[in-house]
Amino acid sequence: MASSVTLLGHAVERSEDPPLLTGSARFVADLDRPGMLHAVFVRSQVAHGLLRSVEVAEAAAMPGVVAVFTASDLPLADLPEWPRGEPPRAELGRPCLARERVRFVGEAVAVVVGSTLSAAVDAAEAVTVDIEPLPTVLDPLDALAERAPLLFPEHGSNEVLRQLTGAAGALDGSEVVVRGHFYNQRVAPCPLEPNGAAAWPAAGGRLDCFASTQAPFRLRAAIALALGRPEETVRVVAPAVGGGFGAKGGVYPEQLVTAALAERLGQPVRFVETRSENMLAMCHGRGQVQEVALGARRDGTIVGLEATMVTEMGAYCWRGPVPFSTSRIMATGPYRIPKLSLTSIGAVTNTTPIGPYRGAGRPEATAMLERMIELLAAELDLDSVEVRRRNLLAPSEFPYAAPSGASYDSGDYSAALAKALALLGYEQVRAEQADRRQSSCATELGVGIATFVEISGSGSEYGAVRVEPGGSVVVLTGSSPHGQGLATTLTQIAAGMLKVPISTVSVVHSDTALVPRGVGTFGSRSGQLAGNAVAHAVEEVLEKARELAAVELEADPDDVVQLEDGSFAVAGVPSISLGLAELARRAGGPIGAEWDFAQESGTYPFGTHIAVVEVDTETGKVELRRLVAVDDCGRVVNPKIVAGQVHGGVAQGIAQALFEAVRYDESGNPLTTNLADYAFPSAAEMPAFELGETETPSPRNPLGMKGIGESGAVGAAAAVQNAVVDALSPYGVLHLDMPADPERVWRAVHEGRRDGQDPFSSSS
Amino acid sequence: MLVPASLDELLASVAADTRADLIAGGTDLMVEVNFGRRSPESVISVALVPELKSWYRSGDEVILNAALTYSEMMRPPLCELLPALAQAARTVGSPQIRNAGTIGGNLATASPAGDTLPVLAALEATVVLESAEGGRAVPVGEFIVSVKRTSLAPGEIIRSVRVPARRAAQEFLKVGTRNAMVIAVCSVALVADAERREVHLGLGSVGPVPLRAPRAEELATSLFDWDEGVPRASEKELARLAELASEAARPIDDHRSTARYRRHAVGVCARRAFERARLPDATGRRSVTP
Repeated sequence: MASSVTLLGHAVERSEDPPLLTGSARFVADLDRPGMLHAVFVRSQVAHGLLRSVEVAEAAAMPGVVAVFTASDLPLADLPEWPRGEPPRAELGRPCLARERVRFVGEAVAVVVGSTLSAAVDAAEAVTVDIEPLPTVLDPLDALAERAPLLFPEHGSNEVLRQLTGAAGALDGSEVVVRGHFYNQRVAPCPLEPNGAAAWPAAGGRLDCFASTQAPFRLRAAIALALGRPEETVRVVAPAVGGGFGAKGGVYPEQLVTAALAERLGQPVRFVETRSENMLAMCHGRGQVQEVALGARRDGTIVGLEATMVTEMGAYCWRGPVPFSTSRIMATGPYRIPKLSLTSIGAVTNTTPIGPYRGAGRPEATAMLERMIELLAAELDLDSVEVRRRNLLAPSEFPYAAPSGASYDSGDYSAALAKALALLGYEQVRAEQADRRQSSCATELGVGIATFVEISGSGSEYGAVRVEPGGSVVVLTGSSPHGQGLATTLTQIAAGMLKVPISTVSVVHSDTALVPRGVGTFGSRSGQLAGNAVAHAVEEVLEKARELAAVELEADPDDVVQLEDGSFAVAGVPSISLGLAELARRAGGPIGAEWDFAQESGTYPFGTHIAVVEVDTETGKVELRRLVAVDDCGRVVNPKIVAGQVHGGVAQGIAQALFEAVRYDESGNPLTTNLADYAFPSAAEMPAFELGETETPSPRNPLGMKGIGESGAVGAAAAVQNAVVDALSPYGVLHLDMPADPERVWRAVHEGRRDGQDPFSSSS
Repeated sequence: MLVPASLDELLASVAADTRADLIAGGTDLMVEVNFGRRSPESVISVALVPELKSWYRSGDEVILNAALTYSEMMRPPLCELLPALAQAARTVGSPQIRNAGTIGGNLATASPAGDTLPVLAALEATVVLESAEGGRAVPVGEFIVSVKRTSLAPGEIIRSVRVPARRAAQEFLKVGTRNAMVIAVCSVALVADAERREVHLGLGSVGPVPLRAPRAEELATSLFDWDEGVPRASEKELARLAELASEAARPIDDHRSTARYRRHAVGVCARRAFERARLPDATGRRSVTP
């Protein structure tokens, strides 16, 4: 094999793929146990109402039904807001099963346990839920209006979060002010595997829980808390997980109920959502109304930004605070914006609760800024590339204290912009565009740019490395990879630094019984946090090995060196060397070390994405022709894995820009509960992506890494949205909300408006 | 659930239980069942009835048996005989759905968004029905009576669909929210029949049933150069064609689209279908230049 030192930076094949490709991976739905019971939830079909009664007698008497529970039979503590509010606000808790009031269609009201899935499904239909309907509120601005129906009367308002950043007067001194009113629409995360959980009593009084989750330790803590058990008596395992995208990073009512049922009934219980249930019960992402004003001088230099961001929380202030706060933190993006005046508001509505979804606040902030840059460029009659160049932070300005309080670590934003423009051939595309416009072609060309910075890798993560006397190397991580390729990345780091073959390394993760502690995989954190934890542990192992070798070789540890083949020898005497396994054998046991790597302030990946679209002005259909993505995530361990993350993120960004939107009717009934009605795109909608990279190491961790899990979704959506608006600019269109579906585009062609507002905005 | 193995057995089963739901590929029926909108008491499968499979040529007609799948419509030589049908089939669902869904099922469901229906309307297809008592043939326009309602009588099944196999230009266009697996916002099928020298237009998803556009057809027929096999129309005439097709539409607002957009888009599709239409020569090759 190649010299192991070169492992870092190489496109090593993913060890994760064979079990997935051959179908041997096991998901929650594949787990079986003798006597497995099946849980099916009875869900509210009313968006808002008082829960009068839940009649379960008929269902409970049906054949194959083991039990039916409502909130009163299965008391569980409410789920708190996340991140936890200070002080905690009990009145806003999210019940595991609805009590007294239902607040969205799909909220779990009761659970039926059957000996077969079909028995439980049938019985769930026999549960009669009596709900006295209440007026609903769906739009976040309506929710904030006076006399709006209240979801939590005891809270007194649908406004559940409010934070002011900066000071008034951000636009003072501006020579020009442009304004926008944007809606970053609600989308559904749609992992191919929906939520699911299984639990059963295990030996020694332990409760074993298997869940499709990104954060087993978080779930373990929540289950222990809900059931009043010590954490050691709960084991949580994430088996193969078919996509999470942030939506599986939190704790769901259904998971806690499944664990409670297994404990109560003393039998294995499994719950797996259907797709339509998933569209109701899994959190949605985005959902933010933005009222923005950007002030600048006539030369394009930005003076200040004034904005109100109203983030939908859905029916509960549960995980919506994540995008709420992340969009606040990233409000000024990659630009030198000296003054910020930002009002961030969170509003509850009678809709599925909002939570983190790939980007989680970053795409909202980016789309807002990138639209404003375009509006400013249009107002000043400048090329928006020029406006960006004038305002992008320069490498010499790092570390940079953003007005939001964020501390950016490092960056060369203009380099990424220049590289993306070169990859695209910007001038040629603009020339083709001009050509087409002159020839009054019905198919318009549009070019859209997004320069962005995002935040990744906050908090800490656990890692451990153990070299066994037999020669195998075991890596433990507290992260919970579920498709990203982290096991391969950690293998490369451990094998590369230990100078052992990749095949000797195995990675243990996602099982609280096998890993002592950890956090999970979300927020683009695992590569850098778990990677540096493992790297640090490896260094300790190497140090221990050197000391052991010194004893064995009767030398001073300072004179002992590691050779290219991974063995240790006295400097200058390579003929007598001891390998790691030999050292472990002589030491009488494994050589191991563990480390918790913490990175409080996070790292700031960045890049430039450029989209080229063709817009059929007669039908409104948008064809994405090219998507260039230049990303900088610091030091790259495995370029193939990084590219995979960019691909997935870019696809989801494109999906938001062109296709996806969760819709409700006026009573709060969801209209997009399957993948026929919800326009989840396929490979047929995607061009081949053109990727490039720059590499600006982060000074905040020894490996110099930054996250890459979300960048694709952060940049691509804004780039595609800008491209569509650019294509429509000859028709007087200055802004169009997403998704740019055929009808919306066609109407814009016919009704273009020049005031930076979507022509069809419901809240105009 | 009954699984008859022959046509006679099927007809006997249907006669014995006239309330049973028939299932072929299940791509519509099972959606209804899965969403709890329908709970069939009994189901009779047509999947193993050999007489309902495949297709054949009979004189100047093509006989499409009811259990012909979308995938089969896309394969040569059928796709060369009925290119618009193949194009419509290509836009249906995923490969799995196209392997399961059938033309008989598309007709029986009679959804306004049924993808083959505007093609069958433009082809002036005849639906052949059969029961234990005998058979009858109904023009497709009479077979589908309203949204998801057909003139299928109790005890009757769809046996086949007869369409002309004459020299013709055929086009199918569809507007939806994505390229694949998409339910039509609107669709248009065009058939320019060289022997009868008539252009027919079938409009989908813009009314309770697949519609024809007689005035647009009349104009298209007059604008088509039947000798050269190509359309000859000025920009103004094309605009008029689009307008007439739009006027023939009777769309509604729903969560996929507004009536206004549907009416507009169906006109654009009709015009484009006409602009693309090319008669094949005797060898089946289509001319490239207008």
